[in-house]
Amino acid sequence: MQGKIVVVGASAGGCRVALAAQAAGHDVTLVDEHPQAMKDMSFDAPWFYGAGLPSALLNDNSIAQAVLEGSPELIECLESGVDVRVSTVLWGAFRNGPNSVNVGRPRVGLVNRDGNEILEHDTLVIATGVRDFVPSFKGWELPGVFGGKAGIAMLDLYQVFEGRKAVVLGTSELALRFIRSALARGTEIVAVIEAGQEVYAGPEAAAWLAERGIPVHLRHVVHEALGKTEVSGAICVSLDGDATFAVDCDSIAVAIATLPNIELPAAMGCKMHYDPGLASWVPEVDARGETSLESVYWLRDDASSEALLASIKGETNADRFPPHAAQTQPTLDYIKTWISALHESGGDDVNICQCETVTRGEFCGIAPPSYLGQGLRHAQSPIVHSDAARAPRINQDFMKRMTRVSMGHCQGKRCRDEASIALALRFGVDPDAIRPASYRFPLRPIDLALIADDDESEDIRLHWQMWPYETRQD
Amino acid sequence: MLVLDAGATAYEASSRATGYLSLRGETPAESPLAQEAEKLWDGLDEELGYPTEWTQKGRIWAAFNERELDELKQLYGTFRKTNVPFEFLSGDDLREMMPCLSESCLGGIWTHRSGHANPQRTSQAFAWAFNDRGGEIREYTPVLEILTEGGKAKGVRTLQGELHSDKLALCAAAHNTLLLEPLGIHFPLAPVRLEALVTTPMPPLFEQAFIGNGLSIRQTKRGNLHMNGGPYEWVDLEIGKEAAKPNTQIVRNILRRAIETMPVLKGAQFLRSWAGIVDMAPDQMTTIHKFDSPEGLVTAACSGHGFGMAPAVGIAVSELLLKGETRMPIDQLSLDRFNKVSTDWRAKRRWEAGQYNT
Ligand SMILES: Cc1cc2nc3c(=O)[nH]c(=O)nc-3n(C[C@H](O)[C@H](O)[C@H](O)COP(=O)(O)OP(=O)(O)OC[C@H]3O[C@@H](n4cnc5c(N)ncnc54)[C@H](O)[C@@H]3O)c2cc1C
Repeated sequence: MQGKIVVVGASAGGCRVALAAQAAGHDVTLVDEHPQAMKDMSFDAPWFYGAGLPSALLNDNSIAQAVLEGSPELIECLESGVDVRVSTVLWGAFRNGPNSVNVGRPRVGLVNRDGNEILEHDTLVIATGVRDFVPSFKGWELPGVFGGKAGIAMLDLYQVFEGRKAVVLGTSELALRFIRSALARGTEIVAVIEAGQEVYAGPEAAAWLAERGIPVHLRHVVHEALGKTEVSGAICVSLDGDATFAVDCDSIAVAIATLPNIELPAAMGCKMHYDPGLASWVPEVDARGETSLESVYWLRDDASSEALLASIKGETNADRFPPHAAQTQPTLDYIKTWISALHESGGDDVNICQCETVTRGEFCGIAPPSYLGQGLRHAQSPIVHSDAARAPRINQDFMKRMTRVSMGHCQGKRCRDEASIALALRFGVDPDAIRPASYRFPLRPIDLALIADDDESEDIRLHWQMWPYETRQD
Repeated sequence: MLVLDAGATAYEASSRATGYLSLRGETPAESPLAQEAEKLWDGLDEELGYPTEWTQKGRIWAAFNERELDELKQLYGTFRKTNVPFEFLSGDDLREMMPCLSESCLGGIWTHRSGHANPQRTSQAFAWAFNDRGGEIREYTPVLEILTEGGKAKGVRTLQGELHSDKLALCAAAHNTLLLEPLGIHFPLAPVRLEALVTTPMPPLFEQAFIGNGLSIRQTKRGNLHMNGGPYEWVDLEIGKEAAKPNTQIVRNILRRAIETMPVLKGAQFLRSWAGIVDMAPDQMTTIHKFDSPEGLVTAACSGHGFGMAPAVGIAVSELLLKGETRMPIDQLSLDRFNKVSTDWRAKRRWEAGQYNT
């Protein structure tokens, strides 16, 4: 590792790397988007907060304090002189590479509520953690529906959670962490819904739930979130027969799984491969976490920073850290179980894309958006026509462009994963044979006025192309 | 009829364009072809059977300082060599048409003809319509070599093997140059990377195809503002390889210019950016050429405005291939006009890979 270092993501792992690099004499900037402005949270990034953001979030000062206090590592970074940028989004990263050789030193674009800055550096460490996986069901747009990570953040990090009675979807570790935090704050867990045959987190977790008298409904999914302006209940349906039951609640925590937050390495063009254990494309990295791009590191999770830390401290045998062990239960299978159950029981007429209001049926049928008032003359298939052995079977970008699913203001954060698994299930294609929808800068939607440059150089002004007289000759 | 593409259907320039039809006032020699394209555009949705979002509401070239105004007035002289109804309007006239236009706009050229469409939808519409008529598109099948025998087209060599046909159309944009080189044919095209972006949807603001302040800006049917502009970065390509198309921090300059151009855009959000590769010819005009040798080979490339031209170019290429002649007005667009262009023309123009200018 060398020179000026930018660490993005103030997770425990990100903070540890920042501290170690600072101690080793590097100039380190640590960037994190939390505490987020309420407006930015409404894009459901990085976590799926849903439409029911508590108004207490408007109190910037007390929020900032709560978030800082909730992260001792971050305080340590501040105290040891790391240049800490909170409430700051890293929206883009630019470096010289094929077909772009005029960037100069690598640089990242940062933006906060006051404006934007381009920061030059030598090394980039990406520790952006995970995001919520939240599949669609009828009523999932209602305030009161949120993802597990977002729920835990509202409870523990922002400390503004207002729910009193929660239904939890999923029985993974994530669900249990949400349940523990919710119980600690006096929220009642009225039902836990699990599409699979058993509690995903294992028999001990099942026993823990039973001890607390929390009702767990195996082989069930949510059929509908009830409520006019916010969640007031849920209808759940059995996957064996169609028996339903209703339950009163004000919150539905969708705590099925998290997925690695790969937007930055993907948009930068790091080489990616599909990992069924994580149900995601992830950057290819070496033992220390270096991606295919030189001096760009990706920390898969807090634990995977060990080898990088060792190398920052000057230990040479970084290879002694074993590569990441494969997960015993692939997240992909669990996610597939949920999506197929939700789609079979809920049908085609549920919006898969909230931003653009597109249903599952419209998406899989490649329907043009309804505002065009025009259909397809003949039904079409998304399957790639090719003899090439390594050709993808489906391009998700094609589906995105035709249907607008993942083209909206959430930039696909809500829908892209369900959309790709839905394609895999409907068209009988392996998820790794789907070319994923491309990630693009900016990583968050940003007000034009905040990001517009104020430093256009003479050089740029002079060479700016003036259509239509681009033919202007010297 | 078999179409081979190195990658996915419509994944290169044709889905990355802004989506204008240009009637080529700046290069009157290709204006007749552009006007043929315009007629075809008017019936395209019906002909293809799939929506293109074609919007025929005119086009504006606007000046934002005195120097630009002078240059535009000069250019207007060239525009008038065509039979397209162009007019020169004042800033106030333009603002009346497009109330969101900034006070700093001093005037510009206007025509009520011309328009724009959605490149992704249009390119896919062509592909689907071709499938519907029994055509086959084979994707991820890069052509590595054009095969000829005894002065005639023989076929192509792909990664998957040879395919034989005595009729070949080479429409691989700036890759044409590389694929023709081994045959001793010089097709001067310089590839250049160009950046584009969209904002979040805004309420309806304008429907014209707008050009000014160094940007092309249109509003999509969905409401997003779609724009491109900036310094060009010249690049080199490799046969059969997808070119990298990264974005740079120049998107910030595009956004600042967008706000200068239409102050109301301050209220929009920057949503998504991308880049595309344009195939620039020395005179920036479309080329459509049928070779006498090798017989059976036709090639075309459109110099950065091939999206709008496509309906007419497609007819010209297919007629040349199948009938040996075309009803499209392409007399001045053959490769012959480059006979005197030397092989180091890119260096002379400062259009070589890595250069970042005009
Ligand atoms: C940002 C941007 C904005 C633009 N705006 C406009 C506009 O407003 N109006 C307008 O008219 N034009 C515009 N253009 C230009 C327009 O996009 C192009 O002129 C047009 O799309 C060219 O079409 P094409 O089919 O020749 O090239 P492409 O769409 O690039 O297609 C070439 C195809 O050839 C394939 N290929 C290459 N090599 C091989 C090989 N060896 N074997 C097999 N296949 C191969 C590629 O994979 C590709 O699919 C713009 C371009 C850009 C980048």
